[in-house]
Amino acid sequence: MTLAFVGGSHRTVPMELRERLAFSAEQAAVALRRFRQRFPGREGVLLSTCNRVELYAASEHDSEPPAPRQLVDFLAECRGIDAALLAPVLAGENDQAAVHHLFSVASGLDSMVLGEPQIVAQVKQAWALAQEEQTAGPLTGGMFQAALRTAKRVATETAIGRERLSIPSIAVADFARGVFERFDDKRVLLVGAGKMAHETLRYLRDAGARDIVIVNRSMARGEDLAARLGARAARFTDLLDELVRADLIVSTTGATEPVVTLDMFTGAERRRGGRPLLVLDLAMPRDFDPRIGARPGVWLYSIDDLGAACDANRKTRQREMPGALAIVEEETRRFMGDLHHRSSAPIIEQLRAGWTETGESELDRLFRRLPGLDDTARAEIRQSFQRYAAKLLHSPLTSLRNESHSGPPHGLLDALRRLFDLKD
Amino acid sequence: MAEIVSRISVVCFAASYAVALACEGSRLLFRSGIRGAVMVGFAAAGVLAHTLFLGWRAANEPAVPLSSAYDWYLLAAWLLACGSLWLTVANPRTPTGLFMLPLVLSLIGAAEMSSRAPFPQSPATQVWGAIHGSFNLAASVAVAFGAIAGMMWLIQAGRLARKQAPAQGFRMPSLEKLARFTGRSATIAAWAAAAGFASGIVLNAVNRQQGLLESIPWNDPVILRMGALVAWLVTAALLERAASRRPDGPRTIALLSLVSLGVLTLSILWGLFGASRHGVPPRQTGPLPMPAAEQVMLSVALPIAPAPRPGVIR
Repeated sequence: MTLAFVGGSHRTVPMELRERLAFSAEQAAVALRRFRQRFPGREGVLLSTCNRVELYAASEHDSEPPAPRQLVDFLAECRGIDAALLAPVLAGENDQAAVHHLFSVASGLDSMVLGEPQIVAQVKQAWALAQEEQTAGPLTGGMFQAALRTAKRVATETAIGRERLSIPSIAVADFARGVFERFDDKRVLLVGAGKMAHETLRYLRDAGARDIVIVNRSMARGEDLAARLGARAARFTDLLDELVRADLIVSTTGATEPVVTLDMFTGAERRRGGRPLLVLDLAMPRDFDPRIGARPGVWLYSIDDLGAACDANRKTRQREMPGALAIVEEETRRFMGDLHHRSSAPIIEQLRAGWTETGESELDRLFRRLPGLDDTARAEIRQSFQRYAAKLLHSPLTSLRNESHSGPPHGLLDALRRLFDLKD
Repeated sequence: MAEIVSRISVVCFAASYAVALACEGSRLLFRSGIRGAVMVGFAAAGVLAHTLFLGWRAANEPAVPLSSAYDWYLLAAWLLACGSLWLTVANPRTPTGLFMLPLVLSLIGAAEMSSRAPFPQSPATQVWGAIHGSFNLAASVAVAFGAIAGMMWLIQAGRLARKQAPAQGFRMPSLEKLARFTGRSATIAAWAAAAGFASGIVLNAVNRQQGLLESIPWNDPVILRMGALVAWLVTAALLERAASRRPDGPRTIALLSLVSLGVLTLSILWGLFGASRHGVPPRQTGPLPMPAAEQVMLSVALPIAPAPRPGVIR
């Protein structure tokens, strides 16, 4: 009974090779069908995300799972890549190390963005696909379920996935939502058409923003962008008028000088009627004079401010790493203990069956010698025999379970075989 | 059931609130998956015991239900505790209890130091007495809610000004929501305090008309302090209205709400430790009665028959 995996991630496989190695859902299904034909009786689960491709294999009973080299060749064959190219960049592990790896992956501890939650859904999908293609089995089933349980524990018992790490998400969730309660009654002004503005706008739309105005130096580009984003375009010369009407400004121009100076702002400020203004200046160099942030009622955040919040969150996640790893290790030990204990199941069954058989023959002999016993007395005696057998078995079974935590209990199983004349 | 309810004491719900407050405070120290449930459980148990305690007193007091200064403070504490519980359940990530429960416990403390003797009222003045007490209660609770929202506004604004992400387990409501809440609380507090003061004057006028009072005691310390409180709350509401159109208006409103709480606290302390004829039976002559807090301390220090404890059947 063994578990194995081979695979590579953003840590080891260059991006070009990772792109070639990645499986779509359909390709993964085909690969698993091929796995079933190539390795009959073996279990297999293929996990393929944009950052990793990993193949988990397992084998119950006495047969070994495919060797790592065979798995590498299999992956290479499925994706039409030279196996010699893959072998140096893929890693392989067996048994406890393989389980530990999967649990770490599912918990987001091996992800590019530490603690990212999407990996849990991807692990679930990989397991569901293996079930559909009938390459999943009791071993991989137990392992993936335990992996999902571990991921849940890590998510709830540590803060590793709590803090946001992208600048647009932090800008909206931690700062815009700190200033405004709702966005459906707010005017959002987009100055410029930088890439980060799109993502920020997506978060703002999710938060309820509807009234969006885009101001761009090129009116044609602004109108094109406005049409795509369901916004309204305004002329760049109307920037100050739009600033007066705006509640929230996202600025991402490529200008080399501030687009809004302090003098321009103070001129417009009087016309704002005291409404608070949130400015997310995501441009580099900055579009808004930083002194504007000191004006009352103005909340101005530059990309550096938001980046600093990102770094603080990243450090918070790093601080949670030891706690998360401790959970992964605890769950790995528990899973391996259960797995090892399962290997002793045939011996335990034999032992129990032998004792039951002996007990039954003794009972038959006793009942023949005491024909006067009624059914109630016979049932009581039978129950006493069963309880006696269970109590006698309790200690060896507990020893077996305890021994399983530190590895397969070969010594105890041998002793049981020899003491009670059990067969393999 | 009645036996159980009669055994509920102030300590029961005060201890529940204290445990809930400790749970809230521990948010700043460590994470826990069950803390929220424990906190809400203790706060809810406190509110339940508090409700039963007040209900028992209302049902068993010989005078008008809940008409003593003691009951008034406990009612104010109960309203704040209910508000705290509701806000905690509605916004589990906001440490509302951390701000509200200290006020709840302070009011319970003030209740313990205040007189339990019901304000004497004739049937004719009962309605005006109830109106007077209710408006004053509403004003005090509105001031407390406003000050808490104002304090949260200042903390949230400080965090945003320092450009920091919110601390784990310490997420405040938005500035917009807090500013709106603070402003509305100030308006309600001003109206309720003015109505409470006016209804107090009507109450005295009715007493005078019925020959129970020779004249309205305008120079009574309680009337003076209530007058000062009303004057401040109305001024604060007007200042807040004027500030609301200025960019720094929300900060001004938040600070004014804290000052209002300070003025209310001083007014309560004055009531606890100052001499007054407020609530003294009409037509009673002689020197001003002893301050309520001193009466309580004296009853503890001297081997005289203690004041009957609520819920204790002798």
